[in-house]
Amino acid sequence: MERKKPFDGIKVAEFAWVAVGPQSTKYLADHGATVVRIESHNHFDLFRGTSPFPQNIPGLDRSMFYGKYNSNKYNISLDLNHPEGNKLVWRLIEWADIVIESYRPGTMKKWGLDYEAVRKVKPEIIYLSTSMQGQTGPSAKYAGVGSMISAVAGLGAISGWPDRMPSPSYGAYSDYFCQRFNAAALIAALDYRRRTGKGQWIEQSQLEGSVYFVSPVTMDYSVNGRIMGRDGNRAPCAAPHGVYPCQGDDCWVAIAIQDDQQWRLFCEITGNTEWVANTDFSTIAARKQNEDMLDKMVGQWTSGYKAEDVEVMLQNAGIPACVVEKSSDLFKDEQLQHRGFYTWLEHPEIGKAAFQQQADFILSKTPREISKPSPCLGQDNEYVFHELLGINWDDIADRLADGSITTGLPDGVTFSTNM
Amino acid sequence: MTKQTLQLALEPYRVLDLTEGGNMIGARFLGDMGADVIKIESPDGSPSRIGPYYKDICEPEKSLFWFAYNVNKRGITLDITCEEGRELLIKLVQTADIVMESFQPGYLQSLELGYEDLCKIKPDIIMASISPFGQTGPKAHYKGSELTNWASGCYLYICGDPDRPPNWISFPQASLHAGAEASAGAMMALWHRNLTGEGQYVDVSTQECVVACCFNTPEMWDLNHVEFTRYSKGINIGGNTGVKITCVFECKDGHLILVAQGGVQPFVNSMAALAQWMAQEGMADEWYMSLDWAEDYNASKLTQEMIDKVESQIIAFLKTKTKKELYEEGALKRRILIGPIATAKDVCENAQLEARNFWVELDHPELNDTITYPGPPLNLSETSISYRRRAPLIGEHNSEIYQGELGMTAETLAELEAKEVI
Repeated sequence: MERKKPFDGIKVAEFAWVAVGPQSTKYLADHGATVVRIESHNHFDLFRGTSPFPQNIPGLDRSMFYGKYNSNKYNISLDLNHPEGNKLVWRLIEWADIVIESYRPGTMKKWGLDYEAVRKVKPEIIYLSTSMQGQTGPSAKYAGVGSMISAVAGLGAISGWPDRMPSPSYGAYSDYFCQRFNAAALIAALDYRRRTGKGQWIEQSQLEGSVYFVSPVTMDYSVNGRIMGRDGNRAPCAAPHGVYPCQGDDCWVAIAIQDDQQWRLFCEITGNTEWVANTDFSTIAARKQNEDMLDKMVGQWTSGYKAEDVEVMLQNAGIPACVVEKSSDLFKDEQLQHRGFYTWLEHPEIGKAAFQQQADFILSKTPREISKPSPCLGQDNEYVFHELLGINWDDIADRLADGSITTGLPDGVTFSTNM
Repeated sequence: MTKQTLQLALEPYRVLDLTEGGNMIGARFLGDMGADVIKIESPDGSPSRIGPYYKDICEPEKSLFWFAYNVNKRGITLDITCEEGRELLIKLVQTADIVMESFQPGYLQSLELGYEDLCKIKPDIIMASISPFGQTGPKAHYKGSELTNWASGCYLYICGDPDRPPNWISFPQASLHAGAEASAGAMMALWHRNLTGEGQYVDVSTQECVVACCFNTPEMWDLNHVEFTRYSKGINIGGNTGVKITCVFECKDGHLILVAQGGVQPFVNSMAALAQWMAQEGMADEWYMSLDWAEDYNASKLTQEMIDKVESQIIAFLKTKTKKELYEEGALKRRILIGPIATAKDVCENAQLEARNFWVELDHPELNDTITYPGPPLNLSETSISYRRRAPLIGEHNSEIYQGELGMTAETLAELEAKEVI
């Protein structure tokens, strides 16, 4: 018999899109939960229009960025603006243990599906709302994406070089920690419900999540009046500490020398024994003082080697050093392979593709597992409506006929992409 | 003793926190949700009592970093490397549900305190271990650091200015991700244990946590063999066309993010609203106003020439506005996708955070002061998160836990303190 997964039998209705919401529930999906995404051909996930597409040819069901956050999930195409669709979706809500939504605050209320409305029908529901700045306050309706809210939270200002304008980290940075708190909180709420029978509303402002994540940054201002700046790749108590050039096209190695003993070891291994005696570099204080010169020397040495060779050479001596891995390196990385971080599955529209694990941990007895590629829009309509919800075929046919279960883009609308 | 009147989501559970650095955020979040978290540090104080410091006084008891990531924990000291210390840890494990740790893989096993050892004492214990690469595999033995861990997960490579080395975030992030991730992993194991009675081991890889940040770039390689390189001022558009749009702009008094994409919503409406604003101020030409942001500005059609032409007008316009104007008029009123690049000061003065009562004042009697903390990363309606206690001083709860809970006599405690076990 197949081993039971921790969330077997836990049912999730997902009114979420892009990154934070879908990742939050994917932890559960990869460990057994039944997660049903509700989209429609009038209102579908932005990431369906986001590259990469196979052969660079876009299509509603061809985005692997959408694929990444939705494997192991089911998908229905139901128009919530249609009165019949809006009625039908309650069957799914009644079925669910968890409702999650990540639309702009007010959207679920417009559909009559906000927490208050759902709780009246199903008091034990666990309902998670995640948004840019929270459901209340003057900026509640702020429209944005993760790159913007990371900036508003102060992360952009502390990224980059001291002599230049900020260089905020790539993509939608805050989308990649807020989901971790959501996953932990969803399970905490499930456990509380198990003990007490009570459901609840989890409300996340991604701005608040971001400020919490880097709490010392604002505390340094409120206590000390210091506005944290940008310091390249440096660290206050380590030197050399940086990213150094290696042989090859745009190849780099990161090195962090944390104490004087590591420094001496570094000098020996690298064959630069004359550096040991140089008092400009013999203590951490001295190295910090002469860091520009130090970085130049280290960079000259690394330039003669491949990044992989520097990594192995220094790691063998117990000095932290790592290749600055590129996307291509991830798929060759033996450590990631060892842990099964990617699962190659055949997707009907995308073809064979690497699906990334959501959990960055392995549970020893109930490990993460991706067994189903991401769903095409509406692909599970029959399974969800008939098998899971027990709706009879005649009613399903009616919904298809009245267009509340959608089957194609609205007339005159062409599929478009954002990036 | 004051009786806890609030309902807490994790009230029945005890967590022993043996993590350091940013990893401490994991047990902290479980503490926020109500778990009884005991932070265990070495008798001479944790190496994580680092800067920034309260009033810049560089002392272990003044570490703002420590304060931040140890709210809602009690603290004891213990030297787990000696036999007496080891035995005390074992006693504590018997009272615990979850142990979290971030030592080098193999270290706790060498002290006979590994997961297998703890299972012999408490078969249903949950242990969450955080390490740079995971507990097994070809790189498991690698030494980690914030920067090198960041490098191992590719996210470093795609961040920074193209003409300089890849660049991290000046406040280190890797271990914070791994700590938060460990809280999710530990919760999952706890759920499983509560259903089945079976404990298990949670093996968190910091490298994987960093890969998770990489947006769509790993898939760009896997599907189309496109290697994205860093372009800090914007993002890559349209797969392998090499076309880039700008996202970071200058304004009158600082910088901002403006997601100047078209093609689909919400980008189309945002670009149209921006165009309207620019036109009202006479800063968009006829050609600019003739653009259809869905049809003409979508990823399949965009050329660099067109982008440059559009962006030159945006750049000129934004320079006439302040961050405040761009946020209030642009983002809130006109719904343009703008995020000002806020400094720590801006964040502390953010009106939305103020309106939501985000900030929490915590008393620090030992400093005769009150410190303002960021609130929690989410709220739970039934089991509200509260800040029940500030971070512990070194050994603050030694007597409460060793004497009060483990039944140690005052004499024994004094003796162990003298021997520096505690």
